[in-house]
This record gives sequence, C-alpha cells and structure tokens, in this order.
Amino acid sequence: MGILAIYGISQKQFNLDEPSLFHQIVTEFISPMQKGLANSKKNLSALWENYLSIVNTSKENVVLKRKISRLENDLTTIEEMRKENLRLKRLLHFSDDQPYKKIMAQVVGWDSSNEFKVIRLNRGSLHGLKPMSPVVTDHGLVGYVYRVTENYSDVLTILDQNNRVDVVVERTRTHGIVEGIFNFKCVLKYITKNEPIEVGDKLITAGVGGIYPKGIKVGMITDISKENFGMTLSIEVIPSVDFHKLEEVLVLIQTDEAVNASTDPVSSSVTKESQI
Amino acid sequence: MKLRFSQLMTAFAISLGILVGLEIMTSSLLPALGWYEYRLTFNVLIIIFLAIRLNSASLPWMIVGFQLIHSVFSVEGWALGTFASLIVMLVANYLKELLHLTTALVTMVTVQLFQLVWHVTVALVICLKISNFEKFGMILWSFIPGSILLSLISPLLFWLLERIWQVPSESGPAGVDI
Repeated sequence: MGILAIYGISQKQFNLDEPSLFHQIVTEFISPMQKGLANSKKNLSALWENYLSIVNTSKENVVLKRKISRLENDLTTIEEMRKENLRLKRLLHFSDDQPYKKIMAQVVGWDSSNEFKVIRLNRGSLHGLKPMSPVVTDHGLVGYVYRVTENYSDVLTILDQNNRVDVVVERTRTHGIVEGIFNFKCVLKYITKNEPIEVGDKLITAGVGGIYPKGIKVGMITDISKENFGMTLSIEVIPSVDFHKLEEVLVLIQTDEAVNASTDPVSSSVTKESQI
Repeated sequence: MKLRFSQLMTAFAISLGILVGLEIMTSSLLPALGWYEYRLTFNVLIIIFLAIRLNSASLPWMIVGFQLIHSVFSVEGWALGTFASLIVMLVANYLKELLHLTTALVTMVTVQLFQLVWHVTVALVICLKISNFEKFGMILWSFIPGSILLSLISPLLFWLLERIWQVPSESGPAGVDI
C-alpha cells in the first residue's frame, strides 16, 4: 500500500491536474453544500455584524440624543443670556447722563396681598439701596423703594393705589397726579375739563415731590371720559413699563451731584431734557 | 379634645411652616409662571380654619403669629389682617352651632362667605384709610377671583390642617376645644 502511495505521489503533477470522473461527481455534489454553508456563514456573520451594529447604533443614538438635548438646553440658556444681556445693556445705557448711582436688581417676588402692588428686589442696604430711591427700567418708571432690608428691598410700584406720582403731560405740559388702580392700570387725576389733552398723550414725571427725577416716562393716556358733574376729567393711563414682563430694574441712588443738580435750575433743566 | 401645650406649639409651628411655603409659592412661583393678576391669600384660609374649627383662648395670639409671617411677604403688615381676623372670629363664634363642614361643597361655600366677611372688612378699612369710598367696589371685586380659587382649594387644606391640629373630621357642631 505504501509503495502504491509513493507511486501515486510520483505520478502527481502539482502545476496542473485533470480531475477524474469520481472527483468531478463528488465535487459537484459536495460543493453546493459548501457553498450553502459558506453563504450561511456569511449571512450569519452579516446578521451578527448587523445586530452588533444596531446595538452600537442604538447606544450611539441614546448618547447623541442626550447630546442634542444638552446642546438644545445650552442653546436655550445662551439665548436667554443673550436676551438678558441685551436687556441689561439697554438698562445700563438708559439715562447714562443722569447724576445718579445706578444699582441693577432683579425682581424676585410680588406682594402676596391683592390690594398692594409691590415687588421685591434682590438688592438691599448692603448693596447701597436707600428708601425712597426711584426705580426705573429703560421703558420708564417702576416706583420707589418702600422698605429695605440688608439683602432685599420692596418697591411700591406706580400700580399701587398708595403711590401717587406727580406727572406732566409731555405735549401740553399739564400737571396731574397718577395713581394706581386695579388691573395693572393707573388713573390721571386733577386734570380739568378745559385742558386740551388727548388719548395717546405721554406722561412724564414732573420732578416735584423729591422722589422721582424729572422726565422719566410714566405712561400713556388710553381713555378720557368727561362726566357731567365735577370739574375734572376721568383719565385712564397704561404704564410705560410692562409689569407682566418685569425682570430687571435699575435703582437710582441720589448722589451729591444729583442733589446739586436738583437745586441748580440750569443744570437741572439740562438733565430734564436729556432724560426725556 | 384638649391639646397639650407642646402639641399646640407643634401644630402652630407646622402651620406656620406651611404658610411660609404657600406664601413663597404665591409671591414668587406663581408670578414667575405668569400669574400676576390675583394673589392667593393663604393666610386668610388658615385663619378661617382656626376661627371655625378651634376654640382656644390663645387663638388671637396665634392669628397675630400668622399675620406676622404674612407681613414678611406683604407690605400690608400684620395689623389689617389681624383686625379682619377678629371680625371673622366674632362672626364664626356666633355661627358656630350652625356650621357643619360635612362635605367639600359646604366647606367651599362656608369658606367663601367667611372670605367675603374678611375682604369687606379689609376693603372698608382701606377706603377709610385713603378717605375714598368710591373705590370700595373696585377693591372688593379685586379679591373675588382669588377668593373663589381659595374656596376651591379649602377642602384639601382643611383636611391637612385637621390632621395637624388633631381635629376630628366634621361630625358634630363645629369648633373643637384645644
């Protein structure tokens, strides 16, 4: 047998081979199975690879979704910061030439009673706030500091019925008093029926009374009704400041310069015009 | 059922804590969510509960305590509400035998009526102070929406306060000695 095998090897050519009939038949029979197995293996490995890839994709998806959510949050925060930045810039540049020390504060709360329209600020005496200091935004007058603690202060807004603001109608220079009523509106009082005021007229502070500097926007006349009795008009005023959107305010602290300006008629009138 | 002094003080302290939480909610959280127009005056609700459901010589002092806490959150101060509380207590004393808060609806209606007494008193005092009674209707009207909401909440808050003050749920004449 060994000799036969050696003979066979000696007769074998490795560079070229002519398959025998047996070889051909067996090969033709076996090969499809090999092919099938090979394909299955390919399919199985593709399935496995797909499965793994889906698992990985799904994990990646979760990570990406988290990332998107975080980025969206960041975007919202940045947008809020951008808006806040704009508001603060406007607020800081508002009435730059006023001889007042300006302290920025945030509104942290409202009075918990219905009958008082008071806001609470996150700045107090430690930050330099003083009672009776006027509080403004770039839109106009908010009110004045009513009470101060070390870190907080309460501001009596112009919406409060206890706050009376001496105002001037910008166009006619007519004096009157603005008083808070309910529903976030005010009334203008003591305007006689013969005054030529109209709906749309703007009101500014008169600078009388020692609290508010002259020329700060207060509001706009939205309704005038003449009653049959009495000498005065019934006038409704919408404040310049939108109290529903009040977030940051500027507290004006009187400096020595401001005191001098209020006593000096020339510089006072310059300040008035620039404020308007 | 009489409460011991320590139990009374504990109930008082817990109620004060609840009032602080509710005041923070009404003065900061609700405005932050856009609720500006009407305030929910929870101190009124708690004081009405005390006036209707408890009998105690120390009640006026406790009411002053609640009002002092309220004055931290409002420039109204403690005095105006304390005066209104005394009027509410007087009315509640006269009506105690008639008051049976047996259902949520009865509680809501009763609380609404007592809130009306409170707000009429407050509106009258404010008008007197500003010497202008023309505003009476307007001031009173401003209280109404908030008070209706409080009345709707009242059964829940009363249920909670009954447990804190260890007052048995309403089954007989209102008012429990403490």
